[in-house]
Amino acid sequence: MFKRSLFLGILSGLFAGMASLVYQKVYASSLGEDFASIARPAGIIAISLFAGIVAALLYWAFSKWLGNKSEIVFNIVLVVSSFASILAPFAMKLPFDIETPELFPGLIVPMHFFPALAWFTLKPLFIRSERAYQKIFA
Amino acid sequence: MKKIVFTLTTLVALAFVFAFTLPSNWSIAPKYNISFTTSGVSGIFKKFDGNIVFDEQNIGAAKFDVTIDVNSINTGNGMQNKHAKGSDWFDAARYPSIKFSSQKFMKVGTAYQVTGNLQVHGITKSASIPFTFKRAGNGGTFEGIFNVNRNDFGIGKPAGEVGDVIKLVVSVPVTKK
Repeated sequence: MFKRSLFLGILSGLFAGMASLVYQKVYASSLGEDFASIARPAGIIAISLFAGIVAALLYWAFSKWLGNKSEIVFNIVLVVSSFASILAPFAMKLPFDIETPELFPGLIVPMHFFPALAWFTLKPLFIRSERAYQKIFA
Repeated sequence: MKKIVFTLTTLVALAFVFAFTLPSNWSIAPKYNISFTTSGVSGIFKKFDGNIVFDEQNIGAAKFDVTIDVNSINTGNGMQNKHAKGSDWFDAARYPSIKFSSQKFMKVGTAYQVTGNLQVHGITKSASIPFTFKRAGNGGTFEGIFNVNRNDFGIGKPAGEVGDVIKLVVSVPVTKK
Protein backbone atom coordinates (compact mmCIF):
# COMPACT_ATOMS: atom_id res chain seq x y z
CA MET A 1 0.00 0.00 0.00
CA PHE A 2 2.77 2.42 0.96
CA LYS A 3 4.72 1.74 -2.24
CA ARG A 4 1.63 2.15 -4.44
CA SER A 5 0.56 5.40 -2.81
CA LEU A 6 4.11 6.75 -2.93
CA PHE A 7 4.44 5.86 -6.61
CA LEU A 8 1.04 7.46 -7.27
CA GLY A 9 2.21 10.59 -5.40
CA ILE A 10 5.44 10.86 -7.38
CA LEU A 11 3.71 10.33 -10.70
CA SER A 12 0.93 12.79 -9.79
CA GLY A 13 3.56 15.35 -8.83
CA LEU A 14 5.42 14.92 -12.10
CA PHE A 15 2.19 15.14 -14.13
CA ALA A 16 1.13 18.23 -12.19
CA GLY A 17 4.56 19.80 -12.78
CA MET A 18 4.38 19.13 -16.52
CA ALA A 19 0.82 20.46 -16.70
CA SER A 20 2.00 23.59 -14.85
CA LEU A 21 4.83 24.15 -17.34
CA VAL A 22 2.42 23.78 -20.27
CA TYR A 23 0.04 26.22 -18.56
CA GLN A 24 2.91 28.66 -17.98
CA LYS A 25 3.71 28.59 -21.72
CA VAL A 26 0.06 29.15 -22.66
CA TYR A 27 -0.24 31.96 -20.09
CA ALA A 28 2.93 33.66 -21.33
CA SER A 29 1.86 33.48 -24.97
CA SER A 30 -1.57 34.94 -24.23
CA LEU A 31 -0.70 37.56 -21.59
CA GLY A 32 2.97 38.22 -22.33
CA GLU A 33 4.14 37.53 -18.79
CA ASP A 34 5.58 34.20 -17.62
CA PHE A 35 7.17 35.31 -14.31
CA ALA A 36 10.05 32.97 -15.23
CA SER A 37 12.38 34.72 -12.77
CA ILE A 38 10.11 33.72 -9.87
CA ALA A 39 8.31 30.59 -11.12
CA ARG A 40 11.29 28.70 -12.53
CA PRO A 41 10.56 25.38 -14.31
CA ALA A 42 12.78 23.40 -11.91
CA GLY A 43 11.04 25.02 -8.95
CA ILE A 44 7.58 24.25 -10.35
CA ILE A 45 8.48 20.58 -10.88
CA ALA A 46 10.07 20.33 -7.42
CA ILE A 47 7.09 21.88 -5.62
CA SER A 48 4.61 19.72 -7.56
CA LEU A 49 6.63 16.62 -6.74
CA PHE A 50 6.75 17.66 -3.09
CA ALA A 51 2.95 18.13 -3.07
CA GLY A 52 2.48 14.67 -4.62
CA ILE A 53 4.74 12.99 -2.07
CA VAL A 54 3.03 14.77 0.85
CA ALA A 55 -0.34 13.63 -0.55
CA ALA A 56 0.98 10.06 -0.78
CA LEU A 57 2.22 10.08 2.82
CA LEU A 58 -1.08 11.54 4.04
CA TYR A 59 -3.07 8.97 2.07
CA TRP A 60 -1.04 6.15 3.54
CA ALA A 61 -1.28 7.57 7.08
CA PHE A 62 -5.05 8.14 6.81
CA SER A 63 -5.61 4.62 5.51
CA LYS A 64 -3.76 3.29 8.56
CA TRP A 65 -5.55 5.45 11.12
CA LEU A 66 -9.05 5.97 9.75
CA GLY A 67 -9.87 2.69 8.03
CA ASN A 68 -13.07 2.95 5.93
CA LYS A 69 -13.35 6.69 6.35
CA SER A 70 -9.83 7.39 5.11
CA GLU A 71 -10.88 7.88 1.46
CA ILE A 72 -13.40 10.66 2.06
CA VAL A 73 -11.31 12.36 4.74
CA PHE A 74 -8.24 12.35 2.49
CA ASN A 75 -10.21 13.73 -0.46
CA ILE A 76 -11.62 16.55 1.66
CA VAL A 77 -8.19 17.37 3.13
CA LEU A 78 -6.58 17.39 -0.33
CA VAL A 79 -9.21 19.67 -1.86
CA VAL A 80 -9.45 22.03 1.13
CA SER A 81 -5.66 22.35 1.43
CA SER A 82 -5.35 22.98 -2.34
CA PHE A 83 -8.02 25.65 -2.06
CA ALA A 84 -6.49 27.25 1.05
CA SER A 85 -3.04 27.33 -0.55
CA ILE A 86 -4.23 29.81 -3.20
CA LEU A 87 -4.00 32.55 -0.58
CA ALA A 88 -0.20 32.36 -0.82
CA PRO A 89 0.16 33.73 -4.40
CA PHE A 90 -2.26 36.55 -3.57
CA ALA A 91 -0.21 37.54 -0.53
CA MET A 92 3.18 37.08 -2.16
CA LYS A 93 5.39 40.14 -2.58
CA LEU A 94 7.29 40.14 -5.86
CA PRO A 95 10.49 42.02 -6.72
CA PHE A 96 9.80 45.61 -7.76
CA ASP A 97 11.18 45.05 -11.26
CA ILE A 98 8.18 42.86 -12.03
CA GLU A 99 5.95 45.27 -13.94
CA THR A 100 2.59 43.55 -13.44
CA PRO A 101 2.33 41.70 -10.12
CA GLU A 102 -1.44 41.78 -10.63
CA LEU A 103 -1.08 38.95 -13.17
CA PHE A 104 0.89 36.65 -10.85
CA PRO A 105 -2.02 34.92 -9.05
CA GLY A 106 -3.61 34.17 -12.45
CA LEU A 107 -0.55 32.10 -13.31
CA ILE A 108 0.03 30.38 -9.98
CA VAL A 109 -3.47 29.73 -8.60
CA PRO A 110 -4.47 27.08 -11.21
CA MET A 111 -1.15 25.32 -10.60
CA HIS A 112 -2.15 24.78 -6.97
CA PHE A 113 -4.98 22.47 -8.12
CA PHE A 114 -2.91 20.41 -10.57
CA PRO A 115 -1.45 17.96 -7.98
CA ALA A 116 -4.96 17.14 -6.69
CA LEU A 117 -6.30 16.78 -10.24
CA ALA A 118 -3.42 14.50 -11.21
CA TRP A 119 -3.92 12.46 -8.02
CA PHE A 120 -7.64 11.93 -8.64
CA THR A 121 -7.00 11.15 -12.33
CA LEU A 122 -4.25 8.59 -11.77
CA LYS A 123 -5.51 7.03 -8.55
CA PRO A 124 -7.74 4.35 -10.18
CA LEU A 125 -4.61 3.01 -11.93
CA PHE A 126 -2.83 2.39 -8.63
CA ILE A 127 -5.34 2.08 -5.81
CA ARG A 128 -8.73 0.55 -6.36
CA SER A 129 -11.62 1.39 -4.10
CA GLU A 130 -12.71 -1.87 -2.45
CA ARG A 131 -16.38 -0.94 -2.59
CA ALA A 132 -16.27 -0.01 -6.28
CA TYR A 133 -14.32 -3.18 -7.00
CA GLN A 134 -16.90 -5.26 -5.19
CA LYS A 135 -19.78 -3.55 -7.00
CA ILE A 136 -18.25 -4.08 -10.42
CA PHE A 137 -17.18 -7.65 -9.90
CA ALA A 138 -19.93 -8.89 -7.59
CA MET B 1 42.59 97.65 -34.55
CA LYS B 2 42.76 98.26 -30.79
CA LYS B 3 38.97 98.66 -30.70
CA ILE B 4 38.44 95.32 -32.41
CA VAL B 5 40.84 93.53 -30.06
CA PHE B 6 39.18 95.17 -27.05
CA THR B 7 35.67 94.24 -28.27
CA LEU B 8 36.67 90.64 -28.99
CA THR B 9 38.40 90.30 -25.62
CA THR B 10 35.36 91.71 -23.86
CA LEU B 11 33.04 89.31 -25.74
CA VAL B 12 35.22 86.30 -24.91
CA ALA B 13 35.41 87.35 -21.25
CA LEU B 14 31.66 87.84 -21.07
CA ALA B 15 31.01 84.48 -22.73
CA PHE B 16 33.39 82.86 -20.25
CA VAL B 17 31.70 84.45 -17.24
CA PHE B 18 28.23 83.74 -18.64
CA ALA B 19 29.06 80.08 -19.28
CA PHE B 20 30.04 79.62 -15.65
CA THR B 21 27.13 81.47 -14.12
CA LEU B 22 24.34 80.04 -16.28
CA PRO B 23 22.63 77.31 -14.28
CA SER B 24 22.90 73.82 -15.76
CA ASN B 25 19.84 72.12 -17.17
CA TRP B 26 19.70 68.40 -16.59
CA SER B 27 17.77 65.61 -18.25
CA ILE B 28 16.57 62.79 -16.03
CA ALA B 29 18.30 59.55 -17.03
CA PRO B 30 16.26 56.34 -17.18
CA LYS B 31 17.65 54.40 -14.20
CA TYR B 32 16.19 56.55 -11.44
CA ASN B 33 14.81 55.13 -8.23
CA ILE B 34 11.96 56.57 -6.18
CA SER B 35 11.31 54.08 -3.39
CA PHE B 36 9.41 54.21 -0.13
CA THR B 37 9.32 52.12 2.99
CA THR B 38 7.31 52.07 6.15
CA SER B 39 6.16 49.36 8.48
CA GLY B 40 3.84 47.04 6.60
CA VAL B 41 4.56 48.20 3.08
CA SER B 42 7.33 49.21 0.72
CA GLY B 43 7.51 49.94 -2.98
CA ILE B 44 8.60 52.14 -5.81
CA PHE B 45 7.16 54.67 -8.21
CA LYS B 46 8.08 53.66 -11.74
CA LYS B 47 7.31 56.94 -13.55
CA PHE B 48 9.00 60.18 -12.67
CA ASP B 49 9.56 63.26 -14.78
CA GLY B 50 10.36 66.92 -14.51
CA ASN B 51 12.72 69.82 -15.04
CA ILE B 52 15.93 70.08 -13.09
CA VAL B 53 18.11 73.16 -13.15
CA PHE B 54 21.06 72.96 -10.81
CA ASP B 55 24.60 74.25 -10.55
CA GLU B 56 26.70 73.81 -7.42
CA GLN B 57 28.30 77.21 -8.07
CA ASN B 58 25.00 79.00 -8.40
CA ILE B 59 22.37 77.33 -6.27
CA GLY B 60 20.36 80.54 -6.11
CA ALA B 61 19.28 79.92 -9.70
CA ALA B 62 18.49 76.22 -9.14
CA LYS B 63 15.00 74.91 -9.76
CA PHE B 64 13.31 71.53 -9.31
CA ASP B 65 9.90 70.93 -10.86
CA VAL B 66 9.23 67.23 -10.69
CA THR B 67 6.21 64.98 -10.94
CA ILE B 68 5.61 61.38 -9.88
CA ASP B 69 2.89 59.33 -11.57
CA VAL B 70 0.82 57.84 -8.73
CA ASN B 71 -0.55 55.13 -11.03
CA SER B 72 2.99 53.82 -11.48
CA ILE B 73 3.18 52.68 -7.85
CA ASN B 74 4.51 49.14 -7.43
CA THR B 75 4.53 47.49 -4.04
CA GLY B 76 5.32 44.07 -5.52
CA ASN B 77 1.79 42.86 -4.78
CA GLY B 78 -1.14 43.31 -7.14
CA MET B 79 -3.76 43.67 -4.42
CA GLN B 80 -1.65 46.19 -2.50
CA ASN B 81 -1.12 48.22 -5.69
CA LYS B 82 -4.86 48.37 -6.31
CA HIS B 83 -5.47 49.29 -2.69
CA ALA B 84 -2.80 52.02 -2.75
CA LYS B 85 -4.33 53.61 -5.86
CA GLY B 86 -7.84 53.41 -4.36
CA SER B 87 -9.88 56.18 -2.79
CA ASP B 88 -8.81 55.28 0.78
CA TRP B 89 -5.16 55.95 -0.02
CA PHE B 90 -3.71 57.93 -2.94
CA ASP B 91 -7.00 58.14 -4.86
CA ALA B 92 -5.09 58.04 -8.13
CA ALA B 93 -8.21 58.62 -10.23
CA ARG B 94 -8.65 62.09 -8.68
CA TYR B 95 -5.03 62.88 -7.84
CA PRO B 96 -2.87 61.16 -10.45
CA SER B 97 0.34 63.06 -9.63
CA ILE B 98 2.64 63.89 -6.77
CA LYS B 99 4.33 67.21 -7.47
CA PHE B 100 7.28 69.01 -5.99
CA SER B 101 8.21 72.54 -6.92
CA SER B 102 11.30 74.06 -5.33
CA GLN B 103 11.40 77.53 -3.78
CA LYS B 104 14.69 77.77 -1.96
CA PHE B 105 18.03 75.97 -2.02
CA MET B 106 20.63 75.94 0.73
CA LYS B 107 24.09 74.47 1.01
CA VAL B 108 24.42 72.37 4.17
CA GLY B 109 28.01 71.26 4.63
CA THR B 110 28.89 69.21 1.58
CA ALA B 111 25.21 68.53 0.84
CA TYR B 112 22.22 70.68 -0.07
CA GLN B 113 18.70 71.25 1.08
CA VAL B 114 15.77 72.23 -1.06
CA THR B 115 12.58 73.66 0.36
CA GLY B 116 9.48 73.74 -1.76
CA ASN B 117 5.86 72.84 -2.18
CA LEU B 118 5.03 69.17 -2.07
CA GLN B 119 1.60 68.30 -3.41
CA VAL B 120 0.24 64.87 -2.57
CA HIS B 121 -3.37 63.71 -2.67
CA GLY B 122 -4.45 67.24 -3.61
CA ILE B 123 -2.90 68.76 -0.48
CA THR B 124 0.07 71.10 -0.77
CA LYS B 125 2.54 71.49 2.08
CA SER B 126 5.98 72.96 2.45
CA ALA B 127 8.68 70.30 2.58
CA SER B 128 12.44 70.35 2.97
CA ILE B 129 14.47 67.67 1.26
CA PRO B 130 18.16 67.15 1.99
CA PHE B 131 20.13 65.87 -0.99
CA THR B 132 23.56 65.39 -2.43
CA PHE B 133 24.76 65.86 -5.97
CA LYS B 134 27.70 63.95 -7.37
CA ARG B 135 29.04 64.93 -10.73
CA ALA B 136 30.42 62.25 -13.02
CA GLY B 137 31.62 63.33 -16.43
CA ASN B 138 28.78 64.80 -18.42
CA GLY B 139 26.23 63.79 -15.83
CA GLY B 140 25.64 63.35 -12.17
CA THR B 141 23.35 61.83 -9.57
CA PHE B 142 21.01 63.49 -7.11
CA GLU B 143 20.36 61.46 -3.99
CA GLY B 144 18.13 62.19 -1.06
CA ILE B 145 16.48 60.47 1.88
CA PHE B 146 13.62 62.09 3.74
CA ASN B 147 10.45 61.31 5.66
CA VAL B 148 6.88 62.25 4.90
CA ASN B 149 4.00 61.82 7.31
CA ARG B 150 1.13 60.43 5.25
CA ASN B 151 -1.41 61.92 7.69
CA ASP B 152 -0.30 65.43 6.65
CA PHE B 153 -1.67 64.65 3.20
CA GLY B 154 -4.77 62.72 4.22
CA ILE B 155 -3.49 59.41 2.86
CA GLY B 156 -5.13 56.46 4.56
CA LYS B 157 -6.28 56.47 8.14
CA PRO B 158 -3.91 57.37 11.00
CA ALA B 159 -2.18 54.45 12.71
CA GLY B 160 -3.20 50.99 11.53
CA GLU B 161 -1.06 48.39 9.82
CA VAL B 162 0.78 50.86 7.61
CA GLY B 163 3.17 53.20 9.38
CA ASP B 164 2.36 56.92 9.48
CA VAL B 165 5.86 58.07 8.58
CA ILE B 166 7.01 57.04 5.13
CA LYS B 167 10.73 57.01 4.38
CA LEU B 168 11.48 58.04 0.83
CA VAL B 169 14.73 57.27 -0.92
CA VAL B 170 15.34 59.15 -4.13
CA SER B 171 18.18 58.57 -6.56
CA VAL B 172 18.05 60.44 -9.83
CA PRO B 173 20.86 60.14 -12.35
CA VAL B 174 20.98 63.06 -14.79
CA THR B 175 22.77 64.00 -17.97
CA LYS B 176 23.50 67.47 -19.24
CA LYS B 177 20.96 68.86 -21.73
